[in-house]
Amino acid sequence: MNWQVFAQSLLFGIFVGGLYGLAAVGLSLVFGVMKMLNVAHGELLMLGGYATFWFFSLYHIDPFLSLLPSAFILFLIGMGLYKGFFSPLAKLHEEVKIKNSLLIGFGLSLIFHNLAIRLWTADEKSVSVLYSGWGFSLFGLRFPFIRFSGLVLATIVIFALHQFLTKTYFGKAIRATTENWESAALMGINIEKTSMISFGFGAALAAMAGTIVSVGYAIHPAMGLEWTLKALIVVVLAGLGNIGGAFVAGVLLGAVESVSTLFVGPYMEVVGLVIFLLVLELRPQGLFGKSIG
Amino acid sequence: MLEIEKINVSYGDLQILWDISLRVGEKEIVGLIGPNGAGKTTTLRTITGLLRPFAGGIQFEGVPMEKVPIHKRVELGISLIPEGRGLFPGMSTLENLELGAFTTKGRACKDETLEQVYELFPVLKNRKKQAAGTMSGGEQQMLAIGRGLMSKPKLLLVDEPSWGLSPLLSKVIYEVIGQINHSGVTILLIEQNVRIGLELANRAYVVENGRIVKQGDSRNMLDDQHIREAYLGTESV
Amino acid sequence: MSGQRKTLFLSIGITVFLALIPLGTKRNDFINIMILIFLYVCLAQSWNILAGYAGQVSLGHAAFFGLGAITTRFLWAWGCPFFLAFLTGGVVAVVFALIIGHPALRLKGIYFAIGTLGLGQILKITVGNVLPTVAGLPEDYIATYNLIPRYYLFLILAVIVVAMVYWINHSKLGLGMVAVREDEEAAKASGVNTFRQKIIALAISSFFAGLAGGAFAFYQVSYYYELPFSPTWTFDALLITFVGGVGTIEGPIVGAFFYAIFKELFVRTFPELHVFIFGLLFILVVLLLPGGLVEMASRVRRLITAKRAEARCS
Repeated sequence: MNWQVFAQSLLFGIFVGGLYGLAAVGLSLVFGVMKMLNVAHGELLMLGGYATFWFFSLYHIDPFLSLLPSAFILFLIGMGLYKGFFSPLAKLHEEVKIKNSLLIGFGLSLIFHNLAIRLWTADEKSVSVLYSGWGFSLFGLRFPFIRFSGLVLATIVIFALHQFLTKTYFGKAIRATTENWESAALMGINIEKTSMISFGFGAALAAMAGTIVSVGYAIHPAMGLEWTLKALIVVVLAGLGNIGGAFVAGVLLGAVESVSTLFVGPYMEVVGLVIFLLVLELRPQGLFGKSIG
Repeated sequence: MLEIEKINVSYGDLQILWDISLRVGEKEIVGLIGPNGAGKTTTLRTITGLLRPFAGGIQFEGVPMEKVPIHKRVELGISLIPEGRGLFPGMSTLENLELGAFTTKGRACKDETLEQVYELFPVLKNRKKQAAGTMSGGEQQMLAIGRGLMSKPKLLLVDEPSWGLSPLLSKVIYEVIGQINHSGVTILLIEQNVRIGLELANRAYVVENGRIVKQGDSRNMLDDQHIREAYLGTESV
Repeated sequence: MSGQRKTLFLSIGITVFLALIPLGTKRNDFINIMILIFLYVCLAQSWNILAGYAGQVSLGHAAFFGLGAITTRFLWAWGCPFFLAFLTGGVVAVVFALIIGHPALRLKGIYFAIGTLGLGQILKITVGNVLPTVAGLPEDYIATYNLIPRYYLFLILAVIVVAMVYWINHSKLGLGMVAVREDEEAAKASGVNTFRQKIIALAISSFFAGLAGGAFAFYQVSYYYELPFSPTWTFDALLITFVGGVGTIEGPIVGAFFYAIFKELFVRTFPELHVFIFGLLFILVVLLLPGGLVEMASRVRRLITAKRAEARCS
């Protein structure tokens, strides 16, 4: 096996890893603010992908143009989901709250899965544009335009998010809620509204990743679980509230998975899952460790 | 300014406060003293809305607080310096202070108030960028108080400001509290150290087992037999 | 007659009735639905033991189901007498559970949930890669394939599992489990060996899940190796148990009944609609009615009794 195969594999892994990171950041943000784990996160990503698919197949809108509208639609859906299904849990005792949020998310994921099958059939779908095959070469390595842009997009979005969280008042309010929600409320921060908007952001971030997946890869109704797991693995690796860390961990996971294809072939996903379990066992802190006793 | 009328507060199935009534008048310093676990912190938390009484009422400047959510109370002028400081540990000193000024009123005069806080606590200016969780106890307490002032409160609730601080630092904190009061802020203070609490406050309430057992002018209470025996360790004459 | 006696006679009566059904009807579709109900009862009750009684919500239940299925299928296809293969399936599931039990049960709450989810996926992917094919049965066997013994196998297994849950519900072991479920720290403080409670629950749960898998392997003519490891089985168990009433004896039975009925009802028109419906019910249960259908039934009963009492007094 020569270095070129290895490097190309690594590169592809980095590209998809950017999307893993983007998905994980949304999940991490939501948990940080609400202390609830949304295991339907992968389904929100899927819905974002399908929204882009619909924009394309019904109105011929280029997926990169429908990126923001899709994200916005999911932002609204996310806020609605929070208000309807997660907000009632907000007042509960921490342990019960987390457990119930897991269950609610689980129920929602099944519902969305089913909805997707009904609306778009169980077949794989993909958005094929003129430039789907385009790419450029650098150092003898191939950079497919769309997959590469996924990485670029993820970097830009996460950077923008970071700026938002550190430079704006509302962003700081979100961070404050993550660190100590009681004190945040005492400062005048409306926790309910903040949670709702954060959940919307989480959904929007997932939707953006979903858009790229629909163009550069493929979407199908059962992809939710797969992506939720990826996001969970990354969040566990990176540690809670660690936005930059989630991005890096996502890229890392993508790279490791992709490279391990060369060695263990179809077991590449198992590699990620095994790492996940090891981290859960040996270094769970940095994850939810702070908020759960 | 603050009227608490027979509030009863439970934490789950456990009742903590029984018919607590107290008054705080404008520009006063009122003390809440009593043993650990008596319900003093619970009282302050109820005033801020973190807990709700299942009976009784709280009025602030004539406005009943029942329907007022937690995040609206600071806009009305109530600010809490919590037990344990309640800082945002991963955020910088400056960010903590900025968040203290989150309310509209606070944001309007943010820069001015910030200067005032830096005057009171010069060390905070030096530690602007430092993460709040990495500062010393004394600095954290100063930050907590500074942050509480950023919303330009009318009523400042202070829970054990000297907790875990050296006598020297405690003295500094008390002086500052006195200064704050002089500038026109009403203060309701929980103080573990009864003597100091009574010396600082104009009036005080003694809370034991979730009930008010004694109240009055702090000077009189310093001479009171029961208080001397229970809290001041002075033998009765 | 005491409550327990009544329950015993009722259960025996129902069991006898169910046992007599195949004698009264030749309709295969009816028998198949009953088998499906029994299968779901076993699947859900075994999950209920770990999650409902011991409070450990596992999302990897399919792993035990799959291990039982694959073990039984292999041994049986090899020529091993069926019951031996069947029991070995259950044993393999328990052994696996005990191996992963120590590290897995160290994880609390949602860590345990997502950890078991990951574990289940690892098994599914591995089996799917090693054996991506479908296995059939030898032709001469297919000719003699009889649904009836399978019916009785599932019925007996379902009865045993329900009896097990009943026993747990009334035993000291069950009390210990519930103590762990309600407040693990408090249980530990009062001297309960919480780990022991959890691992026992896990062992019993995995054993019956494995047996259910083994029965499933016996039942399927074309057998997809990867299928029993699919997370769908876990999700079925969760939906059924919660909607029926988690932590109760009747809950999973009631849930299994409706789940299977809905599944068959919509199989030609809207396949998978039963998942959608149960998904909605599931969310409603979590938000509003934690005791599920069983709780709803008891509330209705109380309402009726109250109304009757009212009518009498006035």
